[in-house]
Amino acid sequence: MNKEINTQTKSVKKLTKHERHNMFHRWIFAAGLGYNFETQQAPAVAFSMRKALRRIYPKDDEYIEAMDNHYKYFNANPLMANIILGATLAMEEKDGIKAKDAVQSLKTSLMGPFSGVGDSVFWILIPTIMGSIAGYMALQGNAVGATLWMVLQLAFFWLKMWFFKTGYDSGTKLITSLGEKINIFTDAISVMGLMVVGSLIPTVVKIYTPLKFATGKVMLSIQSGVFDKIMPALLPVCVTALVYWLLGKKSWTPTRIILLIIVLCLAGAASGVLGVAK
Amino acid sequence: MPIILQNILVILLAAYMAWDNGTGNQITGNWPVIIGMLIGLIMGDVNVGLIIGGTLQLMSLGVAAIGGSSIPEYGVATIVGVFIAIRTGASTGTAIAVGLPVGMLTLQLDVIVKIINNFFAHWSQKLLHEKKFEKMDGVFYLTIFVWMLKYVIPISLVVMFGTPVVKLILNVIPKWFTDGLTIAGGLLPVVGIGMLLRYMPVKKYLAFLIAGFVLAGYLKLPILGIALLGLAATYEIYRINASKANAQTQSANNATVSDDDEGDDFDE
Repeated sequence: MNKEINTQTKSVKKLTKHERHNMFHRWIFAAGLGYNFETQQAPAVAFSMRKALRRIYPKDDEYIEAMDNHYKYFNANPLMANIILGATLAMEEKDGIKAKDAVQSLKTSLMGPFSGVGDSVFWILIPTIMGSIAGYMALQGNAVGATLWMVLQLAFFWLKMWFFKTGYDSGTKLITSLGEKINIFTDAISVMGLMVVGSLIPTVVKIYTPLKFATGKVMLSIQSGVFDKIMPALLPVCVTALVYWLLGKKSWTPTRIILLIIVLCLAGAASGVLGVAK
Repeated sequence: MPIILQNILVILLAAYMAWDNGTGNQITGNWPVIIGMLIGLIMGDVNVGLIIGGTLQLMSLGVAAIGGSSIPEYGVATIVGVFIAIRTGASTGTAIAVGLPVGMLTLQLDVIVKIINNFFAHWSQKLLHEKKFEKMDGVFYLTIFVWMLKYVIPISLVVMFGTPVVKLILNVIPKWFTDGLTIAGGLLPVVGIGMLLRYMPVKKYLAFLIAGFVLAGYLKLPILGIALLGLAATYEIYRINASKANAQTQSANNATVSDDDEGDDFDE
């Protein structure tokens, strides 16, 4: 099976390095812009492919057919999409318009798994870790965390370029070589995500009640005398469980839950059940 | 810096933030702590920018627009909050109280922009069929312009009319109200955490969620340390599962050498 693919990869290059990079830069520029509810990121894909495809298809009819193909639904993590788009470019460069259906199926079959990894790493793990480090530093007036985060995001440019190159170099091999492993990787990386999320519950979520029990002459603070004695962050755990349960219900969107929390906190502050933690 | 120049720079930052957050670029994103620092630089008080940005950053941890889903615009809330705080001298709590509703209203604009974009997508495809290839880029630049308006409109309104309105509100706002919003600020991260838990296989790997909780809650380990332990666990689980999968495909290949079936026996 593998030998067959290896012999296919040698072929004529119709694009110069400059033209390939032009496509990469156009994707970096466009990515999620033009996002719409019908075809999602398709306009951005078409925008980024436009010049490179014109090189591959000098005939108008073929060009229009190939471009129409890229106006179909596409939705992927902007970073990981570099691999997919790099691969489709290589396929079209090699086989021309005959690759049309293969390109479409490569895109639809890879955008799910790749986005799963990309979203977990680049939109959840890194913003959560860097966000909490930079956030706490910023509260003390320290700009180092925020600056470091910006530098890190800037450095991702080379990572994206490497993604694009990897995709372009492997072409159709991508499905066989990475398709399987990517699901295993997504599953494994979620372990790191869950540990970070678990650590956020006691550190970031703050809820405090100034209520006190009066039993005879002894005053007992409910917060420090009861809740904190049972376990650290007892109330945050309860609220997290409640929100998790609510999010499972169709009628409760995140925005609605945010509004609910704000209303409850206003009521809690007015009645004195909740207070600002020291 | 003259006030008018500051105002223009604030609006330009909003436009840049819209572009950056939508592209594959994402250097500032719309992450509050970075935006807070930049807006603080423009307004001449980095400290206020960092504190409000940091507070909103911690509030919004975990809230990610996964797959293009619509979530409150914390970046917009940061720009509004820092701008108001520096111009009117409002406290962090009040600044967030003013910024957050603007961020939530901006979310509605997000939906409208994505509907308008549908029209642009069809327009540029129509140009393709009419063989007006060079004009297609123009349509996309129009899309970007509309996309930027999503942030530019609310920020401009705040920059132009916000200060007197907020000063008026500050005089009548009761203490329990700002207190309530400060409390809400401490509690709101729970929404992001809930969303993350919904997104991740929490039932399968509940053990690691509990481990993370214990490490932070009882042992007070910093988050980077916990993340590294998580990375170690990830590495081991990946290694074990990948070798398992390898063994499976190999045995499947061995079993099907005779008939030309490429290891599809597991499918129905």
